[in-house]
Amino acid sequence: MAHSYRDALDDFELDGQRDNAEPFELEPIEAEQIGTQPQQVELCFPLPNAEHAEQSNQFELDGMAKPQYAIQLSNGQHAIFQHAQTLLDSLESQHIDLHFQCREGYCGSCRVTLVEGDVHYREEPMAWLNEGEILPCCCIPKTDLKIKL
Amino acid sequence: MAYTTFNRNEFDTFAQPMFFGEHVNVARYDQQKHKIFENLIEKQLSFFWRPEEVDLTNDRKDFVDLPDHEKHIFVSNLKYQTLLDSVQGRSPNVALLPVVSLPELETWIETWSFSETIHSRSYTHIVRNIVPNPAEIFDDITKNEHITRRAISVTKYYDHFIELSSYYSLLGEGTHTVNGKTIEISLKELKRRMYVMMVSVNVLEAIRFYVSFACSFAFAERAKMEGNAKIIKLIARDEALHLTGTQHILQIMARGIDDPEMAVIAEECRNDVVRIFSEAAQQEKEWAEYLFKDGSMIGLNKDILCQYVEYITNQRIAALGFEPIFASKSNPLPWINAWLNSDNVQVAPQEAEISSYLVGAIDSEVDTDDFGDFDL
Repeated sequence: MAHSYRDALDDFELDGQRDNAEPFELEPIEAEQIGTQPQQVELCFPLPNAEHAEQSNQFELDGMAKPQYAIQLSNGQHAIFQHAQTLLDSLESQHIDLHFQCREGYCGSCRVTLVEGDVHYREEPMAWLNEGEILPCCCIPKTDLKIKL
Repeated sequence: MAYTTFNRNEFDTFAQPMFFGEHVNVARYDQQKHKIFENLIEKQLSFFWRPEEVDLTNDRKDFVDLPDHEKHIFVSNLKYQTLLDSVQGRSPNVALLPVVSLPELETWIETWSFSETIHSRSYTHIVRNIVPNPAEIFDDITKNEHITRRAISVTKYYDHFIELSSYYSLLGEGTHTVNGKTIEISLKELKRRMYVMMVSVNVLEAIRFYVSFACSFAFAERAKMEGNAKIIKLIARDEALHLTGTQHILQIMARGIDDPEMAVIAEECRNDVVRIFSEAAQQEKEWAEYLFKDGSMIGLNKDILCQYVEYITNQRIAALGFEPIFASKSNPLPWINAWLNSDNVQVAPQEAEISSYLVGAIDSEVDTDDFGDFDL
């Protein structure tokens, strides 16, 4: 090493006084102490729940709360739609699992039959829909719904 | 009707059916009879990807460490996928382009086939990475009787249609004698063959591919062959779109939306549809038997794969407005949804096993010798 610690001390004189103290002993560092294996740490955050209201700093106005819609399924399960971005998100957050793939309306995997009620599509779905079928991955309820799985 | 590459007739595009109308002339997309095909083209273009984007160096190590029966499952599955995409990379073009009558549909067919060629290229990318000699895998596809048997079932409806369609474009309707053989050509029979061919294409994309995806993802569920799974994920995203395209074509035909005769044919062919789906399900089950002949793997065996075949067959035939064929209701492989979902196709490099991301990383190994030339 061209410019060692000792050289640095030599260069650095305080009031012309040489520091003649012996250099302190360094404990040799064992490789194990540093660790040769890269460490992987996982951070676990709670899974976001689609039906939990988002934190908002805005004042809650009376009568401005998001409407709730009751979802009834042919297998007897129930759910409430209020905060989720899509019907599929809402159902999943309430432990009702549907088949899905693309989640944006082009594959049609999640199609179910709407027995009663009405839905709104944020974007026109591309998958083929027969009469009465809806794609929960890209719609939200406009009324209470009855769905046949 | 002899094929012409630029039809000089003047005609009303909106009066044309999807197939067997006027041949297409100007490739214009400002007016669309079926806007869905334009949307599909846009979507497919936005999906563009290249196999080389996915690094497979870890897969090479994983593959070497796989036990023999799992190597058999992986390689056989890969051969099957290669076969399916070889067929799909050319057949829609060869079969459909000579008879298509709408520019947006013509371009969708070309875009669709093109994306299948990307899939084929990605199989070569995978094979190159896992074995020293790619020929030993590719050459077997035309020799192995289990694969060739599958090849016949996926291509026969295409070939059946193309044969009659070629005669039709040369000779037109009627009874003709070609090389001493009498050939009966009717447009109705041609349309019938077209309809069953589209059903078989739908089966290929909606059932056969998904069964093979299940095998690929089963390896990745155990953190093996993850680069391969990443490629399959991209392929699955494309296939979901192709499947939607085929379902639209079939439903437009079945409803007689632009060709009333097609609706009649679809009605007459209802039993054929059920038969084609059932046959395919049976063939996939036999294939599952061959895959797992030397042993199962953790998370997937013959029985589970057969249940998945029944489940996915029910799903797909229901999408066409038919009653489910099998009794099974629930998905035996619930974890496959997460793999099929394309939301997480594009991950940040530090999130996944992209080993190329680590190439420039610092070597973290430190030895006491490394401090040897420290001078205090």
